[in-house]
Amino acid sequence: MTALAFVLGGLLAGACVLYVALPFLREPDPSDDVLGVPGALEQRALELAERRDRALAALKELEFDHRTGKVSDEDYRALVGPLRQRVAEALRAFELRAESSEERVRARG
Amino acid sequence: MARSGSPVRLVVALSVAAVLAIFLLYVSVAGGTPSIQPSQLKCCGDVALVGKVTGTPVGDGHAAQGLRFRLQDVAGGSASVPVVYRGSVPDLFKVGREVRLEGRLQGGVFVAKRDSLRTKCPSKYTPEKRT
Amino acid sequence: MPELGRAALVLCLGLALFALIGGAYAAATRRRRLARAAQNALLAAFGTAAVASGVLLAALLRNDFSFVYVADHTSLELPTPYTISAFLGGQEGSLLLWLLVLTGFSAAAVALARRTGPDILAWVVPVLGLVTTFFAFMLVAVSSPFATQIAPPDGAGLNPSLQNPYMMIHPPFLYLGYVGLTIPFAFAMGALLARRTDELWIVATRRWTLFAWTALGIGQLLGAHWAYVEVGWGGYYAWDPVENAALMPWLAATAFLHSVMIQEKRGMLKVWNMLLVILAFCLALFGTFLTRSGVISSIHSFTQSPLGGWFLGFICLVTVGSLALVMSRLPLLRSKTRMESLVSREATFLYNNLLLVALCLTILWGVVFPILTQAVRGEQITVSGPYYNFFLRIFGIPLLLLMGIGPLVAWRRASLRSLGRSFAWPAGIALAAGLVLLLLGAGSSWIGLVAYTFAFFVLGSIGYEFARGTRARHALSGGSWPAAFAELVARNRRRYGGYVVHAAIVLLAIGIVGSNAYDKVKEQKLSPGQTMAIGNYRLTYRELVKRNGPNATEYRALLDVRRGGSSLGTISSGKNNYRAEQQVSNEVGIRSDHLTGEDLFVIADQINPDNSVNFKVLVKPLVNLIWLSGFVFFIGSLVALWPSAAEQRRLASRYRDLRALARA
Repeated sequence: MTALAFVLGGLLAGACVLYVALPFLREPDPSDDVLGVPGALEQRALELAERRDRALAALKELEFDHRTGKVSDEDYRALVGPLRQRVAEALRAFELRAESSEERVRARG
Repeated sequence: MARSGSPVRLVVALSVAAVLAIFLLYVSVAGGTPSIQPSQLKCCGDVALVGKVTGTPVGDGHAAQGLRFRLQDVAGGSASVPVVYRGSVPDLFKVGREVRLEGRLQGGVFVAKRDSLRTKCPSKYTPEKRT
Repeated sequence: MPELGRAALVLCLGLALFALIGGAYAAATRRRRLARAAQNALLAAFGTAAVASGVLLAALLRNDFSFVYVADHTSLELPTPYTISAFLGGQEGSLLLWLLVLTGFSAAAVALARRTGPDILAWVVPVLGLVTTFFAFMLVAVSSPFATQIAPPDGAGLNPSLQNPYMMIHPPFLYLGYVGLTIPFAFAMGALLARRTDELWIVATRRWTLFAWTALGIGQLLGAHWAYVEVGWGGYYAWDPVENAALMPWLAATAFLHSVMIQEKRGMLKVWNMLLVILAFCLALFGTFLTRSGVISSIHSFTQSPLGGWFLGFICLVTVGSLALVMSRLPLLRSKTRMESLVSREATFLYNNLLLVALCLTILWGVVFPILTQAVRGEQITVSGPYYNFFLRIFGIPLLLLMGIGPLVAWRRASLRSLGRSFAWPAGIALAAGLVLLLLGAGSSWIGLVAYTFAFFVLGSIGYEFARGTRARHALSGGSWPAAFAELVARNRRRYGGYVVHAAIVLLAIGIVGSNAYDKVKEQKLSPGQTMAIGNYRLTYRELVKRNGPNATEYRALLDVRRGGSSLGTISSGKNNYRAEQQVSNEVGIRSDHLTGEDLFVIADQINPDNSVNFKVLVKPLVNLIWLSGFVFFIGSLVALWPSAAEQRRLASRYRDLRALARA
């Protein structure tokens, strides 16, 4: 029993070590080993994307709530204008950011 | 709504204050029950007595005279107090088991509240059994 | 094979340490391959935990009493299913299960999140590694399931109260819940460590949280049902520290599930959500600690198990560390949005959160009160039912009402006019129901009447929501009404699944109120042939029978039940005397009325030598709604959890855009 346990234990240990070392064995000499981290620009872009999605979802929800009667006509009229504006702003901000990033890419060649 | 200072903070603060107020009111009025062992038992007041069953239990919880036994400290020792109990007796009750009762000391005898006998389960994993 | 088990655990510890240290180093210095290696270490840890679990399971099935654990928790005559469940019957085995589920979930979370956020994952790995290290260390150094001895001829057997189907599934569900809460915690901490300000951590862990919360809820219902039928005192919840141990994290997770929706929709409450997820996870750890170490039910703290000190230390480390992390990242968590109105859905969610957290904290206070008073006054003061029930009513009844108000209120701002219109039907239903109930005699408990009225308000509001949603859908896309209903739910799974879950909670509340505020109890000693009456039932004690079961001698008192002149059959109630374990268990007789949900509950409290029995009989109205609510709860959660292709696409594109931009 003990001998078998040792053998199995050894195999298990070996397999674990191999699996953990796998990234290094696969790429012994990589061109870059840097973990991509979103910089300030990318974080900003993500923030804008989330704001855009949030605004769109809120608009959709407002429409639905109005249709089901949860939001009265006058409340709807009061809320929909500013909300549509918010959506437009969010979309515009996001497009601008996307455009300027593309320009940067083209500039680098 | 004030522009500066979110109503959220105000609501949170008021709620916390309200909760604390109710809480303190309740705890001061109702209070908890002190949990003590036979060697610490003094006269007067309702307590929860915790100890180990010792001696020879006599009687029946459902009979008029009740179940009579002695309780000593969990760690052992000489101090023991006579107990009279009426009500349901848990299946796990036996000499040497740790039990908990509520009641008060009257004339040298601990008179327990009806149905307040609980046994501490021998196994760590299972919660207390109760009837 | 115990050596293999021990080796596997040591390997697991080593891998967890690598994930923690190597992973943290890789994340801090941005090394891609090392981060990947740390991820692999977590995955491999699952493999080793599985091997260790397999060794223990095999030993159990073989009845290998050279394993101390097997000898302590099984016996030769123990039926096989319970031999398997003995895995969780003791401290070491349940720790091993924690480790297995933890590494399993970590592996799954890592595998699923690999694509969406490699930078946040780089920090999630060391956090998961930290928790895994703790549990692996406990198993290796403090509480090993692989201790050996000279095999005795037979084992001590499993505690009879654990020999019950419910006790086989109740712990696994609870563990899925406790461990499941680790994942959102790890992602939250990972997001803070990675200095991310976006909602990826919420989006990535939303289903994990919902899953863990559901498992924890169902686990508690299973436990309550076990207590009801097996421990058999006529109740299902005793505010025991071990029961509270599971309730507290569930309440915190409930609050978290709601407030996270506010962050998703309005970008608010970021700090609050961080604090809630930390609270939920710490309470899950605390819950495991309470159940494992026996520290509170015992008189002398910490002497029952060496585990107590370690656990407490780890909980303190996690609490202090995560709070410090939140404080240091406070500037990142500032949100620019303000709550516009105290009458809006955001506001009702906030009130709901405050009530849930208040209830959670008062329960926590009650649980630790004995220890605190012991330390401060040298005397342990305990609080029990009355304390907890008081606060349950104070916080629970408004919560019940809010469940009905929330769905009717719109986001951002709701005018009182539109509120009034939305409230009309549900309020009308509630008032009508209240009047009817009053006429039926529910006025005997005014709290019960109030709770029932609120419950009907909630059911009314949920029904109203479904009705007007279906009508709107039908107006939009035509087709049949059932199709409109299905489409409504399919397009808004979270909302309508959530409504179903609310309905389940209402059923739970009705069941609790009915069985507590309107129950009847009677104690009587009967000799064979005698009759007792309770409510409109009449029970006649016929005879006492004795039977030799597989591992116990069974005594049953047989009673004939009659109601209103007609016979309802026979009930048997008695005790089992377990031979190997030398313990007696209570075997109650329950007759459930499927039409009214009422239970007739018969306890044979004391069997006397002359065959007379001291019976305690209870009538518990509506108690079966509690168990029914579990099924409704499950269905609601399933609907809310169900993946939506449209949503997946939208989220994937959001984060894919980011990666494309990141390369720029």
